[in-house]
Amino acid sequence: MTAAAFMTLLQGAGVTLAVSFAGILLGVPIGLGIALVRWGEVPVLRRVAAVYVSLIRSTPLVTLCLLIFFASPSIGIDIGPVSAAVLAMTLNTSAFNSEVWRGGLVSFPKDQLEAARSFGMRPSGAFRRIVFPQLWRSALPGLVNEMTLLIKGSPAIAVVGIVEVTRAAVRIGATTYEPLPPFLVATVLYIALVFGFVCLQRVSERTYGRAGASA
Amino acid sequence: MPDTSMPPAVAPPVLEIRGLTKSFGTNIVLDGVSMQVGKGQTVCLLGPSGSGKSTLLRCVNWLEPPDQGRILLSGKLMGFRDGGVVPMNGMELARARSRIGMVFQHFNLWPHLTVLQNLIEAPIHVQGRQRDEVIGEAEVLLDRVGLADKKNAFPAHLSGGQKQRVGIARALAMRPELLLFDEPTSALDPELVGEVVAVMKILAEEGSTMLVVTHEMGFAREAADEVVLLDLGRVVEIARPTEFFTKPKTERARQFLQRYVHA
Ligand SMILES: Nc1ncnc2c1ncn2[C@@H]1O[C@H](COP(=O)(O)OP(=O)(O)O)[C@@H](O)[C@H]1O
Ligand SMILES: [Mg+2]
Repeated sequence: MTAAAFMTLLQGAGVTLAVSFAGILLGVPIGLGIALVRWGEVPVLRRVAAVYVSLIRSTPLVTLCLLIFFASPSIGIDIGPVSAAVLAMTLNTSAFNSEVWRGGLVSFPKDQLEAARSFGMRPSGAFRRIVFPQLWRSALPGLVNEMTLLIKGSPAIAVVGIVEVTRAAVRIGATTYEPLPPFLVATVLYIALVFGFVCLQRVSERTYGRAGASA
Repeated sequence: MPDTSMPPAVAPPVLEIRGLTKSFGTNIVLDGVSMQVGKGQTVCLLGPSGSGKSTLLRCVNWLEPPDQGRILLSGKLMGFRDGGVVPMNGMELARARSRIGMVFQHFNLWPHLTVLQNLIEAPIHVQGRQRDEVIGEAEVLLDRVGLADKKNAFPAHLSGGQKQRVGIARALAMRPELLLFDEPTSALDPELVGEVVAVMKILAEEGSTMLVVTHEMGFAREAADEVVLLDLGRVVEIARPTEFFTKPKTERARQFLQRYVHA
């Protein structure tokens, strides 16, 4: 395998990382918003959120990506492959993230909230100062797990013409008639990406500790 | 709104409850309860399990809005604006609640915060008081409940009795006009009850205004100015503890005492 081919694979890995990262950056807070709407039993919106989650969760990422790519011009906005890919990743991961967040919220001890209310905290303040600092710690492993699933599912975005790492490997293999080396390199790159996220989780868990995990 | 008119000749009670009614569905939990707690008084609210004691406390700080009746805090109507019929909004309710300290059966401490942080959280972020001043005051309070050395500990590392003393100090840190206790010793191992009761007795002697739901008859007998017996959501008897425990007026009170004191 040539140095040029290797660079192409690295570029592909860069695309995989960038698109996944964008999806995560948008999808994690959106997931939290969806979870809060359902947990807070916001009228109407909670039903919309529930339908959204079940629809997105049952749509394959490839299908979602194609749907967005081909549907967008017909409603007058031609968003292009990269935006379509990021949007599809975001929608997909936000639905799964919302379930992780919601699990943490549902199991959050009511008596702590009761104390917050009776000490005059507003719902927003109680969420920021009491719930969230504990919630993110309990949600982190599930969120990181979902991030790694997203990265591993990201070859789906190749359908709209994006050359991410797997597509790059396919192309190199097709021109050199030696598919094994590029796929080995691609596999190593995925492992490195996923390992990076897991390391991030370890570091943040160690830094912020699990002090007073239960009272 | 500060009252700028002439002060009344007699200060109103810190807490006055008039005709309080509360139902959950068809279950009438409080059925026309009237009682009051004067400034510096300790009133013990007694009654069998399910008689509505917790609900009454939760109505006082509007965690459960009552169906009917009035709650007056130092003469000011709780839950409504300007003494009228317009319900308070979330911010007004929060401000009113922050004048009442609450101590819970299961402590309800915030586990991600240290002991000191538990104390200063609401005074700083709800009452908007100066951090340094609040910390100084919190340290004094921790000293008073005998936990000065635990200020940097997390709740998970404390015994039940220590947790509840933190719970009391946390309520006091709000400088409340009124302290509500909901069975503060019921979740404690018997050998830890004493240390919490001792703190409560000191507070009572020092003139805190307290409404205490308890099954700790020793505390009611020694520290209460008045005892209120609640049964099936109604006030059965209000009496001084000496009279209540020696010559109760009602048959229901006699039965209650049979069960909870002489058992
Ligand atoms: N949020 C609620 N929803 C429905 N029923 C409730 C609720 N809170 C209390 N109750 C009912 O009210 C009654 C009195 O409860 P409570 O005030 O907790 O009594 P106590 O504190 O004296 O044991 C019980 O029958 C209880 O089931
Ligand atoms: Mg109770």
